[in-house]
Amino acid sequence: MTTKIVQTEDLHKTYDKDSAKPYEALKGISLSVNEGEFVGIMGASGSGKTTLLNILATLDQPTSGSVEIDGQDVTHLTANQMADFRSKKLGFIFQDFNLLETLTAQENIALPLSLQNAKAATIQTAVKTAAGKLGIEDLLGKYPTQLSGGQKQRVAAARALVSNPSIIFGDEPTGALDSTNARELLDTLTNINQQGVSILLVTHDPFSASFCKRILFIKDGKIGDEIDAGDKSRNEFYQEILEKLGTFEQ
Amino acid sequence: MLFKISISGIKARWKDYLVLFSGMIITTAIFYMFEAISTNDKFTTSSPVGQNAKIVFIFGSILLAIITLVYVFYANNFLMSMRKHDYGLFMMLGAKSGIISKLIILETIAIGLISSVVGIIIGIGFTQVLSHFLAKLIHMSLTNFSAFYMPAVWTTIIMFLVLFIVAGFLNARTFVKTSALELLHSGQQSDWKQPKSLTLWIQAILGVGLLAGGYYAMYDIQRLKLMAIAIGLFTIVLGTYFVFNSFFVMLLQAFQRSSLSTKGLNSFTLAQLKFRIRDYTKILSVVSLLFALALGAITVGTGFQNMVPKLASGNGYYSVAITNPNDRMNSLVNQIKDKSTITYQQKVDPQAKRVYYRADQLQQQPLKYSEFVDRAALKSKVSTSKLAEFKHVDSEAYQELSSLQIPKVKAYQIKVVSAQTFNQINTRTNKLLLVRANNMDAAATPLTKITNIQSKQYGDQNGQLVGGSFTMYQLLKSVFGSLEFMGIFLGIAFLAMLASCLMFKILSGAASDKVRFDMLNKIGTRRAVLNRSIIVQILGLFALPGILGIIDVAFGLQMFSRGGLLVGGAYQTFGITTLGFLILYLIYFAVTVLIYSRIVVPKTKVER
Ligand SMILES: Nc1ncnc2c1ncn2[C@@H]1O[C@H](COP(=O)(O)OP(=O)(O)OP(=O)(O)O)[C@@H](O)[C@H]1O
Ligand SMILES: [Mg+2]
Repeated sequence: MTTKIVQTEDLHKTYDKDSAKPYEALKGISLSVNEGEFVGIMGASGSGKTTLLNILATLDQPTSGSVEIDGQDVTHLTANQMADFRSKKLGFIFQDFNLLETLTAQENIALPLSLQNAKAATIQTAVKTAAGKLGIEDLLGKYPTQLSGGQKQRVAAARALVSNPSIIFGDEPTGALDSTNARELLDTLTNINQQGVSILLVTHDPFSASFCKRILFIKDGKIGDEIDAGDKSRNEFYQEILEKLGTFEQ
Repeated sequence: MLFKISISGIKARWKDYLVLFSGMIITTAIFYMFEAISTNDKFTTSSPVGQNAKIVFIFGSILLAIITLVYVFYANNFLMSMRKHDYGLFMMLGAKSGIISKLIILETIAIGLISSVVGIIIGIGFTQVLSHFLAKLIHMSLTNFSAFYMPAVWTTIIMFLVLFIVAGFLNARTFVKTSALELLHSGQQSDWKQPKSLTLWIQAILGVGLLAGGYYAMYDIQRLKLMAIAIGLFTIVLGTYFVFNSFFVMLLQAFQRSSLSTKGLNSFTLAQLKFRIRDYTKILSVVSLLFALALGAITVGTGFQNMVPKLASGNGYYSVAITNPNDRMNSLVNQIKDKSTITYQQKVDPQAKRVYYRADQLQQQPLKYSEFVDRAALKSKVSTSKLAEFKHVDSEAYQELSSLQIPKVKAYQIKVVSAQTFNQINTRTNKLLLVRANNMDAAATPLTKITNIQSKQYGDQNGQLVGGSFTMYQLLKSVFGSLEFMGIFLGIAFLAMLASCLMFKILSGAASDKVRFDMLNKIGTRRAVLNRSIIVQILGLFALPGILGIIDVAFGLQMFSRGGLLVGGAYQTFGITTLGFLILYLIYFAVTVLIYSRIVVPKTKVER
């Protein structure tokens, strides 16, 4: 029996609801992510990917429908409860400007724990553990400007991991990276996933998507299709995604 | 087309433009006000200080022009930080750089023109209100003064237009030189480099040492004379710079190493503040120095003012002397609360140029006189005259009584005679009423009315003033009054402008900070925690130069009190002026926090 980390039921999101021209960006999305899964969400521009991710990540609230993360309904939390929930249960990897330049790698990674007012000793060990998982123990004392692009993303990944989140969210995390660094980050994510952390990635880049184990396609605010990597090699899966996109876009 | 987009860009950020405009308008208004008062001949020549005051005012004008220049520079930077993105976009869309330049120049000049015109109108209103308020405060009459003064209007318009035309061209040039991509992503990079700790140590020690040296030099002004000012200026400017560049940075680093920094957003707040202080070293130093200058100007100005009653009463025991008071005079004298009076009978013989007094009266109610025992400390002693003293023309008592005569009689010889002899003199008996107001500041209104009536009655023949120390009080008030007026005026103007320079500098960086706060919001920082961090960061940037400035003044005043310029009064007004200053400064701090938070803190989408 697998635990469901994320589960949504008939999610709707209407922007500018009270205006003359309301816009329904999500039209009933039901999906689930199991513990330890690596799920990708793909779709054309404007299909609602970011809208969906923001709701899942408690950065926005749905107009109707429910979102459960790690068994907790997150749609009716107050602003502060949401913030606390994010710092404890969720990890984020962004496209750009992940790190605060004025803090060392160590301090950057420690931030989510500091926000929870964890003890200094607890923080110390948690940062060590997270850094160990990503092989960046030697970089902890350095400032972001002293790191390469790939190293920075690994520090960012360590920060996402440090509070042992239930799931890590990424919105186009490779968007601003060149192909070498993108590759490195995706390998890192795969590595983290293999250690049992669930990941949900939003992207419209087929190469990035090919690292996922399952892909949901969104079209006009609805889930249109779904494919599974199964036992296919990454390259085979990549071809399948390309084909799917070809037929899906029409 | 581009013009339309440009306008819509402005509309979208109208609140930020409002800040820019109000800042510019206030600056223009202040500049106009000062020009109107300082260049207006009617004002400067009708006041007794006349030409001297004019020089002081011109000097003030130059100082004001310099700080205005700095201000316009920062306001302009803020303007450009708002527009960079839009203009970058235009260039991406393929707009020719010539057209962009034209747009930028036009926009800058338009802002300059609008704010100058509105500023001058508001400035005229300000001038009207403030000049009367201040004149009243310091008992100075502004009879010939009009708030609207054409030459001042011209000076202000020309000054600001030239500034904005130059700023417009400079802006256009920087834009054309930067690539569109850089403009689009401007301010998103910050290259923090951890300074070497050896450099930090050397600079910190040097900074503190230089400051201490400068403070000592000002303290030891009696020995060092003019050198004290030269040394003080040099070491304090340099010391302030080093202290910001390293001492404060090290202090924050010490906090960072403590366990304090693992709580909440503290590590971010401290690091951000450290980064800002190093990034802003120059402006923070300037703010600190100007803060000191402004606060010093007000303190010294009001300090001089406080010396006036002491100076005046040391010059004569009685405030006014009234010969043959009528009912009107008597009722004015009655209005003075805390006083002592004496009445003597007097007979004047114009032929012999003599004035007679009765010995029995001078015996019963002896005349008092005051003399300085320590001029430097403004200490004076009150003595009671003895009858014999009036035989010697150069005795203090004789001089005091002589000075209390009406102008015509001042040159006459005083004869003290017995009551019998007095009665035999065949001329009218006068009454000389001497009034001593123990608090001249409180009694200023009736005393002024009395002296006004007297000067109308006697004129000021041969430049002789009506008797009594109150005329001295009035003269000193008007001399020091214009000094104080300028001190207060320049002080407030400086403070307003330097605080807004700091405000604009901080706000200019808001756009690039937005990304950081967005990220912090995503990783789960509560709004209240974000806001607290903002307050601490901005408070640090405002408070540090303020504190350093106050310390500068505290030591700088030594120069005045020990140098014998501002006797006894140097620290009297320090507390009050500092408080007033801090309140004004706090308002700027609060406005900065509000605007900055509005730009930077992500809107919660939850509150529906
Ligand atoms: N705050 C908002 N107010 C109104 N409409 C919005 C808002 N945010 C998004 N939309 C609209 O909702 C739709 C979905 O937007 P969303 O950002 O989720 O797309 P996306 O799939 O992430 O696109 P992309 O791949 O370009 O990032 C779009 O049509 C967009 O115009
Ligand atoms: Mg998107």
